[in-house]
Formats: sequence, C-alpha cells, structure tokens
Amino acid sequence: MLKIILPSIMLLPLTWFTNNKTLWTNTTCHSLMISLISLSLLHQDSTNSYNFSTTFFSDPLSTPLVILTTWLLPLMLLASQNHLSKEQENYKKMYISLLTLLQVFLIMTFTATELMLFYILFEATLIPTLIIITRWGNQTERLNAGLYFLFYTLIGSIPLLISLINFNNTFGTLNLVLLSLKQPALSQSWSNHILWLAFMLAFLVKMPLYGVHLWLPKAHVEAPIAGSMVLAAVLLKLGGYGMMRISILLDMVNKTMAYPFIMLSLWGMVMTSSICMRQTDLKSLIAYSSVSHMALVIVAVMIQTPWSFMGATALMIAHGLTSSLLFCLANSNYERTHSRTMMLAQGLQTILPLMGVWWMLGSLANLALPPSINLIGELLIITSSFSWSNLSILMMGMNMIMTAAYTFYMLISSQRGKLTNHTKFLPPTHTRESTIMSLHIIPIILISINPKLILGLP
Amino acid sequence: MVAVSEASYSLEGVGSAGRSAHSGECPVARADDHAGAGRPLVLKGAGLRSTMFRRVLQLGLGPGLLTRGLSTRRGVSTLDWDAKVSEFKKKIECILPGKPWETQLYDTSHLPPEQSDVVIIGGGIFGLSVAFWLKKLEKKQDAIRVLVVDQDHTYSQASSAGLSVGGIWQQFSMPENVRLSLFSVEFLRNINEYLAVVDAPPVDLRFNPSGCLLLASEKDAAALENNVKIQRQEGAKVCLMSPEQLQNKFPWVNTEGVALASYGMENEGWFDAWSLLQGLRRKVRSMGVLFCQGEVTRFITSSSCVEGPNGEEMVLKRIHKLHVKMDKSLEYQPVECAIVINAAGAWSGHIAKLAGIGKGPPGTLQGTKLPVEPRKRYVYLWHCPQGPGLETPLVADTSGVYFRREGLGSNYLGGCSPTEEEEPDPANLEVDHDFFQNKVWPHLAQRVPAFQTLKVQSAWAGYYDYNTFDQNGVVGPHPLVVNMYFATGFSGHGLQHALGVGRAVAEVVLEGEFKTINMSPFLFTRFYLEDKLQEYNIL
Repeated sequence: MLKIILPSIMLLPLTWFTNNKTLWTNTTCHSLMISLISLSLLHQDSTNSYNFSTTFFSDPLSTPLVILTTWLLPLMLLASQNHLSKEQENYKKMYISLLTLLQVFLIMTFTATELMLFYILFEATLIPTLIIITRWGNQTERLNAGLYFLFYTLIGSIPLLISLINFNNTFGTLNLVLLSLKQPALSQSWSNHILWLAFMLAFLVKMPLYGVHLWLPKAHVEAPIAGSMVLAAVLLKLGGYGMMRISILLDMVNKTMAYPFIMLSLWGMVMTSSICMRQTDLKSLIAYSSVSHMALVIVAVMIQTPWSFMGATALMIAHGLTSSLLFCLANSNYERTHSRTMMLAQGLQTILPLMGVWWMLGSLANLALPPSINLIGELLIITSSFSWSNLSILMMGMNMIMTAAYTFYMLISSQRGKLTNHTKFLPPTHTRESTIMSLHIIPIILISINPKLILGLP
Repeated sequence: MVAVSEASYSLEGVGSAGRSAHSGECPVARADDHAGAGRPLVLKGAGLRSTMFRRVLQLGLGPGLLTRGLSTRRGVSTLDWDAKVSEFKKKIECILPGKPWETQLYDTSHLPPEQSDVVIIGGGIFGLSVAFWLKKLEKKQDAIRVLVVDQDHTYSQASSAGLSVGGIWQQFSMPENVRLSLFSVEFLRNINEYLAVVDAPPVDLRFNPSGCLLLASEKDAAALENNVKIQRQEGAKVCLMSPEQLQNKFPWVNTEGVALASYGMENEGWFDAWSLLQGLRRKVRSMGVLFCQGEVTRFITSSSCVEGPNGEEMVLKRIHKLHVKMDKSLEYQPVECAIVINAAGAWSGHIAKLAGIGKGPPGTLQGTKLPVEPRKRYVYLWHCPQGPGLETPLVADTSGVYFRREGLGSNYLGGCSPTEEEEPDPANLEVDHDFFQNKVWPHLAQRVPAFQTLKVQSAWAGYYDYNTFDQNGVVGPHPLVVNMYFATGFSGHGLQHALGVGRAVAEVVLEGEFKTINMSPFLFTRFYLEDKLQEYNIL
C-alpha cells in the first residue's frame, strides 16, 4: 500500500518545487503514473483480502474505489487548468496540494484496516473539500454551500465516533480483518437500535439519503470543477463503502432498522428524479441525478444480499465515472458561456460535434444503457430489491423511466435546438477537454467488457 | 520624543483615553517612549527641576504612584489594550447567534451580484421591457438571472420616463413599426393583465385615445398616401382627409398649405409614460429581476479570429465581465455575464464604444460605430383657453411642429425637432425659450390661429436616443461582439415601440430568431451595408 501512498504524498513537494511552466504537466503525469501503480491491487491472490500490513488492506470492495480515486486525480488536474489559469502561481500550487492531500486521505480511508483510522480519515477528507468549495467556487452562495456541507456531515459523524469508541470498548477490536472472522451478535434492544442509527447516520448523510440530502445540490453546484468531480465520484462513495463495512458489526439489528431507510430511499429516488426534470441549472440537474443513483445504492446496501452488494459496488464505480464525466461536460459549457443556465446554451451539437459525442455517451451511460456497468449495477439492485419485496419494482421502474426522461431532457436541450446568436461563435473544443472525456469513457467501456472487476466479490 | 506642557497637565500619547480609567487620580504628562524602558524625562530649559518637583507634589505621593508618575511607560502604551479588548468583545457579541452580524462586515447590499446570466444596461422603458419579456418567455420559472443596471434610479434624465410626451401612433412608413405600435396598444389596453402584481394597485395609464393627425403639404402628399396604404394593410385604422374634410372635422385648423391629412381613428393618442415605467418596474421586480444603480465603465472581453465566408479574417469578441461603478465613488463590482443587452438610450453609443464597437478602419464591419447619440429636444407646456379644446388629437404639422392636449384645463404641450444646423448642445438639459419664440410659435400660430394668444407655463428638455444614420431603431445582436444585443436608437418614438421590441429581443436571446414580429431590417448590419430605413415623419 505504501507504494501508492508515499508517491501520492510526494506529489506535494512536487507541486511546490516544480518549475512554474511545467506545473500542470508534471503533476498530471506523475498522478497518472500513480494510478497505474494502483492497478496492481487488482491481483488478489488470497481469497479474503490482500493484506499489506496490519494498517492497510484491500479487498475486492475497496480495490475498485482506490483505483477510481487515483484515476480521478489526473482528470481533476486536467479539468482545472482553465479556470486556474488566471490565478497566481502560489494559489495554483495550493489548489493542487489540496487535491493531492484529499487523494492521500481518500486512499488511506479506503484501505484502512482499523475502523478508527477510517473514521479519522473520513473526517479529514472534509477539510480540503471545504477549502476548495469556499475559496475557489464561483458564486457568492459558495459560503452557504460550504457551511451546509461541513455541518451536515459533521453532525452525522459525531454519533459515529461515539459508537465506534463504545464498540471498541465492549468488543475489544475495530480491526476489519479480525471482525470478519468473528461477527458480534447484537441483540434487538432499544440501545442497539440507537447504536445502529449512530453508526449509520454519518454514512447516510454522506450518501446522501433523501431526507438529509440538502447539502449535495448546494455543494456540487458551487464547487469548482475539480471539487464537483471528486465530490460526485468519490466522496459520496465513502458513505456506501462505510455502510458496507459497518454492516458486518450490526448483523442482527439491521433486519429491523433498515426498513424505514429503504422506504425513504425508494421514495427519494423517485422524488429526486422528478426534481431533475424541473431544473434549469445544468449542474443542479446532475447533482440531483447523483442523489437519485445513490438512493439505489442505499437500498442495495440495506438489503444485504450478495447480489445487492455486487450491484451496489458496480453502481458506485459506474456512477463515479459517469457523474464526473457529466460534471466535466457541464463545466465545458460553463467555461464558454459563463452561465450554468441550460436555456442559454442550446443547439451545441452543430458547432461542437465532438463534444456532442461525449455528451451522447455520457448521457447514455447515465441512463443505464446496456451493456454498460451502470446497467449491470442497476439491474442487480433492481432484481435483488424485487426479491426483497415485490412491490419495490414499481418504484424502481418509475425511477428508470424518469432517469431516462431527465437524461434525454438534458441531452436534447443542450445539444439539439436552434443556436442563439451568442452561442454561434463559441470557441471550439480543446484537446484537453476531449482527453478528459475520453479518459472517463474508456474505463466505462473497458470495465463493461469485464465487469467482474467491480462486482465486489472475489 | 517628549512634549511636556507646563500649563496643561493633559495626557499625551496613544490611547490615553483608555488609560485614564486606571490613572484616574490625576492627569500627568508622560513621555511617549518608543524606544524602551527606563529613559528619564528629558526636559529642556531652565526651571526643569522645579517643574518636576511641582508635579511630584501634585501626584499625591504614593510609592507606586511615584514610580509610575515619573518613570516612563513601557511599550504597552502604543498598543492600546483597552480599546482593542472592547472592540474584540463587540465583535464576539455580534457573532453570537441571534445578533445581526452584517454590521461587522462591510455592507455590500448596494453592489450588484457577482454573476448574472443577462445584464441589461439601462433601466428605462427598453431595459424594463426586455427584462419583462425575458422573464415572461423563459420556459421554466427562475431559469435566467437578469440584472438591470441604470445610472440613475430617479430617472431624472431618462427619455422614456417623466420627460416623455407619451404619444403613440401607428402612422409610420415601415410596416414593422406599425406592427410594433399595434402590439403596444394591445399591451397597453390589457396592461393590468400583463403587469398584475399581487397586492399592488392597478396601473393607471390615463390613455387618451384621441388620435394622431399628420398634415402633409403638396410635395409630401403622395408619400403620405402611400404610407396610409401600408398602415391599412397592417391593420391600422387610418383615414385620409382632404383640406375641406379637415376643416369640417377640426374647425380650429387653418388648412392653408395642407394638401392631405391622415388621421388615426383608433389606437392612437397619448398616455402617461411614468406610470407605465413604474408599473413595469414593479412587475419586473416581482418576477425576480435584480436592480442596481451604477454606471458601466468597462467590459472585459476575449477575442478570437475566425475566417469569414469570403476567406477574410474576422475578429469576434465575447464579453465575459463588465465593471459596474457605484455612484459618486470609485468602488466598482465586476459582474460575470453571459449576455449583455444595450438598452442605454441616449448613452448607447458610449456603451457600444466601451465594448469596442467601431474600433477599426472606417468602411469595414469592425469600424462601423453604433450611430446613436443623445440629442436634446425641448417640450413646452402652454395654456390657451381659446384653444382647440378637448377634441384635439396629437397634431403634427407640415413644418415639423407638433402639439397635443395635456389634461382638461386648456393646457397643451408640444415642440419641434430642430434642423441639423440648429441642434442644441446635449451637454446639459437647459431649456432654450428663444427656440419656442422663434421656431415653434410662429408655425403654431399659423396652423391654429387660436394659439396666437398662448401663454407658456413651463418647459423641459430631454434626450432623444437619436440614430444619426436613419432615425430608426437598432434591434438584435451585433455581428462581431457576439453576446451584445441592442434595443435602442428609436429617436423619439421608442416609448411606443418598446414593448414590441422587448419581446423581439427576448425571442432572439432565448430562441435565436424573431418569432412574432420580424425585426431583421433593424439589425446592426444595415449600418455597414448602408441600407437606410427612412421614416417619413419624425416627431
């Protein structure tokens, strides 16, 4: 594991000592190399998990997430080049350092053995993200957005800290490898129910669950492009990953406590899809679509069957790549027209045809077109929730239709239609932008050929 | 350094006010010691020791006091702890929940927002009309953020506000102008359906549909007849009258020199422009448009070179930000915008110049300026009890003089457009009363003999956003500055066209083409192509 973490930490001196002219080249290339190293995690020779040391381990659940995190950093750096080009050198380096620091924390979070280490790093990821949102965001509302983001997540995670410490005291260890060998049996008492809630609340807020999702549209919309990408692609998955790890501890209680949250997620899924169709702000539409997809993941994790876990991990990776791609596309629009309103940038397919290809592929991936991994994830989740309860297919079916509806709405209103005068002369697509889009699409296509990699079971 | 005053034992040094609370016993002059501790008082002149001795006596010798009185203050004196502590306490109090904390931070409520999708420069009738239609035609509520920037929120120099004569007529030679006026009339007749705001009183326009009478001499008679044909085709209700019919209908007219007259029988007259403006403003505010008072001083643009259809190089500009400067201060706010609408009326030419329109060799598209400039026009209000009476329409004489009835007390207002040589200086809005005496009154008296005994009550001056090219408006996008749209230059008949033009501009911005009234003859490119749209009669 150190072979990934140490080079990531060394990216920090790299950004500060490098030549100003080659800042972006150096950091992007080195982070790409680190992401190639992370591919070595895929080779699992033990049946349970790939144990590096007593502190770090990786198993088929965390490996795809680590690879996604390391893959995302060069993409974030590529995407941020334009809006940072007018800043001072020191601020650019500060921005890159924050992104690198965030990546280090995230890698360590996903590979932590001890749940306490996981918790500390889980909280630590909030700080660079908060700084990125409030300092480099575009509108004045970013202060409000940062506040919502910070406090929603913090309030959710304080009970998690208390319950982790309590668990450590009563059970003796928080090491995931050990816990997988001996599961604690919790009885169905009131205090255990509250313990379950305390454990899960942090991750439910992070996912986000429908009732506590208000921070997400704000944070995603006000963040700069790299902030949006990392938030949508990785930070939301921290919640899913955490839930899957913690549910080992909460075996018996889960059967009763999960019920209201599955209901809330099913309902929230349909609700947020409907809100998407009314959105006028492009980034806000993609943010609500994230909430909708993550609601599916919550349902899957709560149901806790092998198929649903496979679907949850597949959907997390697929959604990470797709959502990040959509945010990059929205950002390419924003950099040209300086407005996020969808009405003002229409008919772009005529003048930016290559970007139209990426829009099409991204939208098709978003609405879970076969044979992409989005579909595999959603299909597994839908079938497992159908077996949990036959009636849930109604909600799931409605969600699939509405997902298709709002995705096409987004595609058609931005690509088709009549060009207005101020969009007739937009600058053409940069190679850098096409690179980012293709580097998002190519993993989706490659993994669709071998989805075993992300299904989360050995 | 030391400043010891004998007569006044006042406290010296920084922050002595804070310290007086401690050393309340007696004021003492101390040395302001910057360097450090321990330097004794350095006094100049004779009698120094006696002064010190007197001071020591007056200190009321306690041991601590003695050392404190005579020795110098350590470095603390320059820091002024007490004032800092009390300021800090006040800050903490403000941050606690329940207290208003905006008072601690700088109040920026007068500044425009940092980002807005559409910025409309100019808050007069054109600006408000474009804002209204943008908000009305947007397909979802609150889809577009609109900001209206005006340099004077009291509208003291706005041509479309209180200074306007407020006439509306359909007697134009361009069919689009007729259509615009017809649409405006339909809007004005149903104004309370368009501009309804919850809990607000209805708009009272005081529309006087008294009609408009255009008089033509022999040489203009054919053109007038032609125009009336065009107007009738568009649906305006205009009739032609011979001098005898004219004399029968309006006995107070002297028909000498009149060959033909055209009279609008319906949908023409005048209304109160100020109440229209206020009604629009109220409605537009309720639809979510932001207003800001400030002056646009700068545009931040980016240019790109493209190849035109004939292979020539064109430089296209896109406005990214504009700087709005606050009134009477140097403070400005950069506003990031996607679209800019130039509805600045008489100052549109200046705004266009700021955006770089017209910077280039003359005769090229780049060198074509926006030919709108402010021209001063006078309006005079007079009282004439023997005048034409309540039936007076808006009369436009063959000589260019016009007048209309104002109110019910035998008051009339009118004026005249001066010729090119007599153009008054538009630097200020001062009224030239001699102009009335020499140029307006003779023609008035000749056309309406009752006006020989009129008495001028008041007069004012206002600006026309005068289009020096062809005195017709400029509507639509600029070919080179891709995100600037114009809605200006209507040279005196802007008020009646504004509502239709606003809708046309909103359609171009939102949908890319003119949908209801095709205003493509009014595009900017006609200045480059030298395509004049001449109007027959300019009031």
